[in-house]
Amino acid sequence: MSALQLSDVRKVYRSGDQDIAALDHATLDVGDDEIVALVGPSGSGKTTLLSIAGGLLRPTSGSVVVAGHDISGYEDKKLTAFRGSEVGFVFQSVNLVPFLTARENLLVVAEMTGKPKGPARSRADQLLEELGLGGRSRNLPDQLSGGERQRVAIGRALMNEPGLALFDEPTSALDTEMGEQVMTLIRTEVKERGVAAVVVTHDTRMTHFADRKVEITDGRLAASGG
Amino acid sequence: MLAWNEMRRAKVRFGLLCGAVGLLVFLILFQQALLGGLVTDFIGAVDNQDAPVLVFNDQARSNVEGSFLFPDQAAAIAGVDGVASTGFIGEGTYTVETGGEIRDAVMFGYELGGLGAPSSLVEGRLPAAPGEAVSSAADRDNGFGIGDVVQIVGDGGPTIVIVGLADDLRWSVAPTMFASYDTFEAAQRAVNPQSSVVFPSLVGVQPVDGVDIGELTDRINSEVDGVEALSRQEAVDGNPGVQGVSQSFGIILGLAFLVVTLVIGFFFMILTVHKARALTLLRAVGASSRYLVKNLLVQILMVLAIGSFLGVVMTVALLRLGPSGEVSAKLDPSSVAATLLGLVVLALIGGLAAVRRVLRIDPMSATSGAGQ
Repeated sequence: MSALQLSDVRKVYRSGDQDIAALDHATLDVGDDEIVALVGPSGSGKTTLLSIAGGLLRPTSGSVVVAGHDISGYEDKKLTAFRGSEVGFVFQSVNLVPFLTARENLLVVAEMTGKPKGPARSRADQLLEELGLGGRSRNLPDQLSGGERQRVAIGRALMNEPGLALFDEPTSALDTEMGEQVMTLIRTEVKERGVAAVVVTHDTRMTHFADRKVEITDGRLAASGG
Repeated sequence: MLAWNEMRRAKVRFGLLCGAVGLLVFLILFQQALLGGLVTDFIGAVDNQDAPVLVFNDQARSNVEGSFLFPDQAAAIAGVDGVASTGFIGEGTYTVETGGEIRDAVMFGYELGGLGAPSSLVEGRLPAAPGEAVSSAADRDNGFGIGDVVQIVGDGGPTIVIVGLADDLRWSVAPTMFASYDTFEAAQRAVNPQSSVVFPSLVGVQPVDGVDIGELTDRINSEVDGVEALSRQEAVDGNPGVQGVSQSFGIILGLAFLVVTLVIGFFFMILTVHKARALTLLRAVGASSRYLVKNLLVQILMVLAIGSFLGVVMTVALLRLGPSGEVSAKLDPSSVAATLLGLVVLALIGGLAAVRRVLRIDPMSATSGAGQ
C-alpha cells in the first residue's frame, strides 16, 4: 500500500478575475518507507503540495490518499485529528514551542492527541537519545543550536509514529555540514521506522539522501529518477 | 501541561498578573467587608431583635427615627386577624455619660418578656427590670461593658446598668442599648420634659403559627390606616442609610469588577498575540482549537485562583491585624464565595477575546512562518 497517493490534484487560487494554479494536475505516489525529494525553484508549488499531502490545505480538485484514507473531503476537525496522528511535520522556520523544553516539545504532541503518558515519555526519551540529544532534553529551544533545534523537530515529527513524514526545507537554515548531518539523521530515522517521507528542498546537494527525486515547476510535477 | 509549563517558564510575567489580580481581589473583598460591617452597624439592632414583623408610621418611609404610632393604631394592629401578639418598641438617640465620658448612644425600649428583645446575646443576660440593658458587644470597652453604668444626660434621665452583651446590635453606627420600655419612656421625658405622652416608634408583631408573614403585613397595611407593616428583612433592606451606603459601595465594587475583567482580558489577549507562532505550530501539527482554548482557560483559572488566594490572605490579615476603628469590617464567607464565583465568570468573559483569537488561527500559516 502507498503511504501517499496524489491523483490529478489541483489547487487554484482566485486573484481578481484570474485563476492561478499553484498545483496543476499533480499525481504522485510515495511507497511505504520511500523517501522522495521534491525539488523546484521558489514559488513552484512545493510547499502547496506538502501542505495538501499533510492535510493543512484542501485541494481544489483531485484526490489525496494517505495510508489508505482519502482526506480530500475531510472537514477541519477531521483534518486536525489526521495531522496529529497520521503525519509528522518539520517546517522551514517555526518548529518548536519556545516555552517548552526539547523533551516537552515531543511530549506535547502525544498529550494533545490523547496518547498515554508513560509510553509517550519512553518514546520521547528514546527519540532524543537516537537524535543525539539525550543530554539536551531539558534545554529550551533558545538554549539549542540551529542543528539541535532541527533534530528536536525531527523527533517531534516522528513522536506519534506517523506513516508519512513531511519535511519543508529542513536544511535551509543550516550550513552544508550540519545540513548533511540532519539529512543523514532523517534518512536513518525514517528508514529504521519504515516511515515514508517527502522532503522539500531547493538544495540539490541534499537530494542524494532520497530514494527518488521529483521536480516541480509552475505547479506541475516531473519525475526525474533517483 | 502546556498551560502550567508556560506559567512556570514566565514566572515574572504571570507573577505580576497574579499580584495585580490579588490586589484587585483584596480591594473588592476589603470593600465588601467594610460594607458588611457598615451595614451591620447601621441596622444590626433591627436585624437582631426578635419581632418578625415591625409596623411603622407610613409617613416614616421605613425610617425608625421618623416613626411613631398612636395608641389607636397600636390597638387596631393587635386586632388584625393572624396577629398573635404585639409589643411597643421605642427608639431614641441620647447623650449619655459613661466611663467618665460624654457620648452619643441609641436606646431601644421594649416590653420585657415581649417582642423586640435582642436575639444575639453573647454574654450576661437580658434586662429583667427597668434600669437594666443589653448593649452592643462591639462597645464593651467604650463604657458599655457588663457592669458599666450609663447615665442618660437630661433632667431626671434614667441610670442604666449593662447586664448583657449582644453581637451586631449597633444602630446607625452608634453604641446601642436594649432596655425596658419604661426606661425608654423615662429617657424620652428626660430629654423632652414638655412632652406629656411618649409614643412608641414601632409596634412589633408576632404572627399566629402558620400565618405567612407577607400575607399578614399586607393585611395590616390594608386594615389599619397610616401604618406600614414590614417583615424584619424588609425593614433592614428599606433603611434609608443602608440603601445609600449600598448604592455608593455598589458603584465602587462594580468598577473594581470591571477592572478585573479588563486586566485579565487585556493580559491574555496580549499573551495570545505574543505566542501566536507557537500556537500556529501546534495547530499545524494536530492540536485542536479545543485543546488550545482549554489550556488558555486553565491559565485564566490558575491566575484567578492564585490571585484570589493572595487577595483573601491580604484581606483576612488586614482585618485581623489592622487597627480596629469606629466602623467594624465584616467578611461574610458566603459573599466571599459569591464574589470569587463572580470573578471566575467575569475573568472567563474577559478571556473571550483571546479565545476568539485562538479560534481564528490558521494552521497553514505554519508553512510560511507567519502565524501573526
